[in-house]
Amino acid sequence: MVALRSASRRAGALVLLALLAALPVSAGVAQVKLKLPLKPRLPLRGNEKIALAPFVIATEAEKARDKRLQNVDLQAEFQRFLKKQIEKKTKLEIVELPTDLKLPTQNLSELGRSTEFWRALGTQTGAEIVVSGSLEFRVEDRSGYKTEEYVSPIDGRTYYRQVYVEQTGFLFDIVFLVFDGRSGEKILQDEFKDFRQTGGRRADELQGLFENLFSLENQILNLFVARDRDAERYIFTD
Amino acid sequence: MRSRMFKKLALVAGVVAMAAGCSSYSRTDKAQTQISFGSSVARKGLWREAAFRFERAVQQEPNNARAHNNLAVALEAEGEFARALAEYKRALELDSGDSYIRRNYARFAEFYTSYTRTTGKASGGP
Repeated sequence: MVALRSASRRAGALVLLALLAALPVSAGVAQVKLKLPLKPRLPLRGNEKIALAPFVIATEAEKARDKRLQNVDLQAEFQRFLKKQIEKKTKLEIVELPTDLKLPTQNLSELGRSTEFWRALGTQTGAEIVVSGSLEFRVEDRSGYKTEEYVSPIDGRTYYRQVYVEQTGFLFDIVFLVFDGRSGEKILQDEFKDFRQTGGRRADELQGLFENLFSLENQILNLFVARDRDAERYIFTD
Repeated sequence: MRSRMFKKLALVAGVVAMAAGCSSYSRTDKAQTQISFGSSVARKGLWREAAFRFERAVQQEPNNARAHNNLAVALEAEGEFARALAEYKRALELDSGDSYIRRNYARFAEFYTSYTRTTGKASGGP
């Protein structure tokens, strides 16, 4: 009798399980993850020869006054970063430029109009695309008093108090100019900005620079190759 | 003897229930069926198939805000941003009070603004 009851219970459980399995996916809404495909900004085949010309350093004049900027060779660090990213993540072929190459001007608008210079450079090196532009990197002391909420352990009430917070801000601004190596014409101009803030007054400037660069990596590479971007959306399931 | 009979009954009931569950996908004339199937393939990352299903749902029920929302998401996943924008707008027109549609649209608008700012034109646009 007992065996019969337990068998019927098991059978009941089985029926319940089968019914549950057959139920449609829970009604309502589901969150889905997307990888948004981003087409490259430049209309390239993908295997062009590319030359990385020097960039105008917008903060060069401030270097003499700001000790922290003196510790960073912005031109060299950025060129190294860009070269590495292009070599690693694109099929573009980087062509070397003469080491003593000087830009015809330090003015960005004039640089964009220096068609002759870019055409000559393209012809001389065989580069189909030439990249240049301007770089700006600033280290800012953002320390100061900030208002903070405080719950008193004595009376349990909320008070506001002023606390001194030490912070350093890193601002990075790149303007890209991309030229056609055959015609010397500017084919693209774009600007990317990033701001990072870290705790502590004496945060390392080189580390800050790379924080900026890595956060802009996707956008920079998207100039040359397709990239994707993570996103979350909701879909209705019924 | 009885226990065997119960087991058999349970199996039969299970099969019947499963068949009933699956049969909802076979009624493809209903927008709800398309949405249901489309959302299940979307969650597996099969966005092309999902877009096809949601498109069918929109054809069957042009005033179904949920179908337009789902189609917009699938089009986004396929990189058809200009069309996704139109579908989000239509979904909002039909049901401006739905918090999920509004949230989706806000996130998409943020992305799309920066995307068109940098590319100068909409991908997948006419």
